[in-house]
Amino acid sequence: MAIDSAQRTDIPLTVTEAAASLRAGEVTSVELTSVMIARADVLDPMTGTYVTRFDDYAMAQAQQADADFANGVDKGPFQGIPIGIKDILAMAEGPTTANSLILDRAWGAGKDGPVVSRLKAAGAVITGKLTTSEFAIGSPDETKPFAIPKNPWNLDRSPGGSSAGTGNGIASGLIMAGIGTDTGGSIRIPAAWNGVTGLMPTFGRVPKSGCVPLGYSLDHIGPLARSTRDCAAMLGIIAGYHPSDESCVDRPVDDYLGALTGDLTGMRIGVDYANHFPEQADPALRGCFDAAVATMADLGADIIEVTLPLYDEVTTALWVMMAAEALAYHHNDLSTRWADYYALSRANVSRGALASGSDYVQAARVRRVAQEKLAETFETVDLVAGPTSALGALTHEGMLQRRLGNIMKMVFTGYWDAVGNPALALPMGFTDDGMPLSLQLGARPFEEAIALKAGDAYQTRTDWHLRLPGLLTESMAAAS
Amino acid sequence: MNATETTVRSLLAAANLAPSEEEIAGLVDGYEDYQAGIEMLYAVPEARYASPALIFNAAPVFADWAQ
Repeated sequence: MAIDSAQRTDIPLTVTEAAASLRAGEVTSVELTSVMIARADVLDPMTGTYVTRFDDYAMAQAQQADADFANGVDKGPFQGIPIGIKDILAMAEGPTTANSLILDRAWGAGKDGPVVSRLKAAGAVITGKLTTSEFAIGSPDETKPFAIPKNPWNLDRSPGGSSAGTGNGIASGLIMAGIGTDTGGSIRIPAAWNGVTGLMPTFGRVPKSGCVPLGYSLDHIGPLARSTRDCAAMLGIIAGYHPSDESCVDRPVDDYLGALTGDLTGMRIGVDYANHFPEQADPALRGCFDAAVATMADLGADIIEVTLPLYDEVTTALWVMMAAEALAYHHNDLSTRWADYYALSRANVSRGALASGSDYVQAARVRRVAQEKLAETFETVDLVAGPTSALGALTHEGMLQRRLGNIMKMVFTGYWDAVGNPALALPMGFTDDGMPLSLQLGARPFEEAIALKAGDAYQTRTDWHLRLPGLLTESMAAAS
Repeated sequence: MNATETTVRSLLAAANLAPSEEEIAGLVDGYEDYQAGIEMLYAVPEARYASPALIFNAAPVFADWAQ
């Protein structure tokens, strides 16, 4: 299963390194993109990363990027960088499927959503549309005509979701970065389970128009990449007001890269032990987390123990509102095409029928109360840290056997969706059986720069984010 | 058929959804825990007079997202 040795195997791992190499003339965008395409030919049948590949389009964009560099045109850090787009965002070059038989292929046809448009304008090379859980809420269903995404660290394990292809594509080396979405954890869970970095921005920081909705009051679009620095660069491109998204906030976009000083002196990092270490947690989790906290302390941060307010109530509020909002969108199709949905998609969405309208409003009231209490917490700290997930990636069978609500008790992502604050997930070690573990950093609304600063500083002292799964290293070794 | 199952079946029917018997059993199985969680929302004392995190805009901007 060797990758064609005619392709370079010494390409940089991160977007940041690749951007420097492109400008130094050490590599071309065509070379980067050729390697990604060659790897996809070999590995994608195993990882199930892509729904649709745009090989010809990507090569044309790579050639344009190289020509722009040669002509002194520099559009920024993502010019010439191969990336992927989760297949619930509209992109003109191909259909959007949401990994479903249901979605009308006419929706978004021939159109770019604002995030896609911004990445194109930045010179990014979009290699294709990436596997998602069906409508961002299901789990894979072998009876449906879509690839089953797999974890490159162990193909018997799930890559998580719903941004499965974005997470496993970066980990497998098929893309250098990508776009995901997050409503209950769907950027951060695949980041955590694939050993890559992912950022859920503040609700309203990035326009979510041109994206199939799951939870109207909960959806976020954000970046995944190997490193925090790469995520910061991507956020700088996609963030900012767009009038087509009523939830989008009109406020200046921060200099996220400029915030990455590497020094955490004076930063107050809250650590929530009470809500993040259930009995069923992986045995390696606490040691990895404590080591991560110690590293941030060594970088100058002050560590303070905190407890996130109304944790259980906020998590319940998330599911009540997500299910109701999703059912409104899917009601007609679920009524007439039940069997065409994946089994777990329809189970998750149909829960929207089991709560009342007043339950939905009460959930929204509790979210507001939690925001106020959390703001009080953030008077004493600048970030709140905890593991992203109590476990490494589950097996495929384990994912199918559990209800979504039970899976979500083992991940700690939904709280931040419900309050709307940004949260960063980054690798912090491995379980005893070799699956990645992840650190989550939650910040105040619109203070993504603080989380990114801490994550980047941590990644100057650790190399967890640069570790590669055997699937990729073995193929590269065979080719070289 | 107990009260929980009757309730779940009624709610699904009212929503015009037709899960299989196995799927209904799964929803019934989790219903009491789900309702217990929802009851916790009504028990948050600070929420008694709170406004919901829902905003209706009387003057929205209508703009096409397609680029």
